[in-house]
Amino acid sequence: MNKIWLVFMLLSSAVLADSKQPDARYCLVCHGSAAQGNIAIKAPNLTILPDWYLRQQFTAFRNNWRGSVANDAHGKEMQAVANTMNDAEIEQAIAFIRRQAPVKLPISVNTTANVQHGQQLYQQCQACHGAQGEGNAQLHAPPLAGQHNWYLVQQLSAFKNGWRGNQSDDSYGQIMRQFAQSLPNEQAIADVVAYIDSLPSTQSSLRTTP
Amino acid sequence: MSNYFKTPLTRRQCLSLLAKAGSSSAVLGAAGIFGLTNIPVNASPVALKPLQGKNRKVLILGAGISGLTAAYELERAGYRCTILEASHRVGGRVLTLRHGDFIDELGSPQICPFDDAPNLYFNAGAARIPAHHTGILHYCRTLGVELQLFSNHNKNCYTQDDAAFNGQPVRIREYEADMRGFIGELLAKSATAGAMLDQPFDEQDLDKFIQFAQAYGDLDSSLTYRGTDRAGYASGGVTTAGILKQPRPLPELLRSDFCTGAMHFAEIADQAPALMTPSGGMDSIVKAFLRQLTTPIQLHCQVSNIQLQPQGVAVTYLKQGESYTEQADYCLNCIPAQLVSGIENNLPADYVAIMSQLGRGKLTKIGLQAKQRFWEQEDIYSGISWTKQDITQIWYPQHDAFKAKGILLGAYSWEPQISDRFAAMTHQQRLATAIAQGTKVHANYAQHIENGVSVCWQRMNHMLGCGAVWTEELQKTGFKLLQAPAGNHYLMGDQLSLHPGWQEGAVRSAWHALADIERRETLRSTGAQA
Ligand SMILES: Cc1cc2nc3c(=O)[nH]c(=O)nc-3n(C[C@H](O)[C@H](O)[C@H](O)COP(=O)(O)OP(=O)(O)OC[C@H]3O[C@@H](n4cnc5c(N)ncnc54)[C@H](O)[C@@H]3O)c2cc1C
Repeated sequence: MNKIWLVFMLLSSAVLADSKQPDARYCLVCHGSAAQGNIAIKAPNLTILPDWYLRQQFTAFRNNWRGSVANDAHGKEMQAVANTMNDAEIEQAIAFIRRQAPVKLPISVNTTANVQHGQQLYQQCQACHGAQGEGNAQLHAPPLAGQHNWYLVQQLSAFKNGWRGNQSDDSYGQIMRQFAQSLPNEQAIADVVAYIDSLPSTQSSLRTTP
Repeated sequence: MSNYFKTPLTRRQCLSLLAKAGSSSAVLGAAGIFGLTNIPVNASPVALKPLQGKNRKVLILGAGISGLTAAYELERAGYRCTILEASHRVGGRVLTLRHGDFIDELGSPQICPFDDAPNLYFNAGAARIPAHHTGILHYCRTLGVELQLFSNHNKNCYTQDDAAFNGQPVRIREYEADMRGFIGELLAKSATAGAMLDQPFDEQDLDKFIQFAQAYGDLDSSLTYRGTDRAGYASGGVTTAGILKQPRPLPELLRSDFCTGAMHFAEIADQAPALMTPSGGMDSIVKAFLRQLTTPIQLHCQVSNIQLQPQGVAVTYLKQGESYTEQADYCLNCIPAQLVSGIENNLPADYVAIMSQLGRGKLTKIGLQAKQRFWEQEDIYSGISWTKQDITQIWYPQHDAFKAKGILLGAYSWEPQISDRFAAMTHQQRLATAIAQGTKVHANYAQHIENGVSVCWQRMNHMLGCGAVWTEELQKTGFKLLQAPAGNHYLMGDQLSLHPGWQEGAVRSAWHALADIERRETLRSTGAQA
């Protein structure tokens, strides 16, 4: 909708150039200069996410599976962007993310979390997300290792309180929601995330400086 | 009642009242003026000594007011500057929208649909300047920026609240006249009843005080409020006798939240009359800087890596998909801190940790083009109408009276939840909401509005916020740390002032960094380690 309107309204080639975002540079504004995530924006690390999962999440935002709840300001932010993109642009964005060399993330350890307890809790996650948190394409379960711990906490809470997985046609989301609901409280979420945090990132080469 | 007089408001209590009426920045601003904090309101601009042949290079990241201030001062002293700006435009949060401008909001890109006419512009970011903002006014003066008066308080504007007056808009003139009348009467009566005798007041003071209360409320000789021509006449008044309007009952006035909030907006130090604004739009200031600068500003250069080096700073940026790296003696970084926290860097961990804790301010402004200047038919020229609905305010242009068309501000709220609600809408929904709510203030609003723009600052590309939000706690632990240089890197911008949300803060933050560079250069020239 916005697209069509923009085309009608474009007045000069300078404006035309301004309104196009070559190479999906938009992604790096929120998700960090190498798509490594940014805690201040609550934007996740994209570099650990495979193409199929990125594609699936664009679909989720466009289908209103994510970003549907009024209080979910961050989900709504991404949803607004996803809604302005067509399929070709989504593929372009995914390819752009793939070109970002993964960077080393700062380590932030949650000292109040119980990793052992987290390991027990992780038993039930393992079947889909893998023993090393490497994810499973067949089961549509994303990799978790290497994701920011604050983002994992945020998303587990989102599933638990129904910001994600609350739509009848979002079957994977609904499955995840059930598991998130089985975590009794914030401490359990913190513990399981601390365990995931202790798993080595599945990414091969990490860059510290360019 | 007498308690009021026994315990007068302390300055601190007064400040916390102002904080409720405005924002925390209002409190900091007022504090500076009342001499409670150490903002030197009359500080003179930084004087950088000319380099005299020495070769110094400075990288300036971000071309907002702080970056432009620094570039201007540094160039004059002979420093070589490189100015990298991620956006398609210069000015940052000084954004004046006109016909054909691209509005780069994530998820809601727009082209400004206003007609192409010099009077049809909208200050979507900064809009007003109080007289004590001597830093930004210094540049207006020296760079030849023409100013005009800007009005926050116009008695002919309206206040509208569904909880009072059947939701009908009431002229601020009438509301304030009645409110003052009742307050005056209450004051006068309690004073005559001897309620203040335990104050160190003598007979003369008391007499004067009663006269004050009478003048304040426009009371009759029996110290009773029976209406006033301050509220305007119901009829007549020029060639026939004026008939006073009937005062509204006090309980009815109190049902409106105007008396506990917006009525006092223009009492906030930074918002009090007389205010100023550049003729033709706030970006006249940006243009004035650009006229002076010899270094071209490099647009579409998105900084992606900042590395402190033993002797300086190296900065990598993305331009049209390619990466470039530049080195310099100093780096002045004006990028919003919440974005810096996502940029690769080797800055000290505690420094970055503070940045990532700063909140993102949320503000939405909507600008509407009106076919007719219908407000002039209602005796309104400039000023603000207030409503309890999400749009909160309607501003009328202070410029170009009697022209064919005009641009109104159709919504502006400081409540983050309200801005979230606007952000969640499409642009068309935002305009429809602004028009529907505005109709409660001006009955035929919809038929006058032709088109509009909406700007949610928390969604604007390369901003993602209207300004940094410091908690009191974080300010205590983090402000000094972020204000100090990390190696040869300085973080700047209004985010590093006690005046976030004002250009004055941006200017002062630049002066602060430049003063430190000057100190280090002086040390360097004497051979000492800077
Ligand atoms: C709605 C609103 C109303 C306001 N009202 C007033 C007012 O009435 N009066 C007043 O005095 N002030 C007002 N302000 C505040 C004023 O606009 C700001 O204080 C001032 O413009 C800030 O200047 P700055 O240089 O600190 O930052 P900015 O203007 O934010 O500049 C930062 C620059 O960094 C750029 N950037 C971001 N990321 C990168 C990157 N990766 N690489 C390179 N560059 C990057 C941005 O594009 C931007 O140009 C208002 C602000 C808003 C949003």
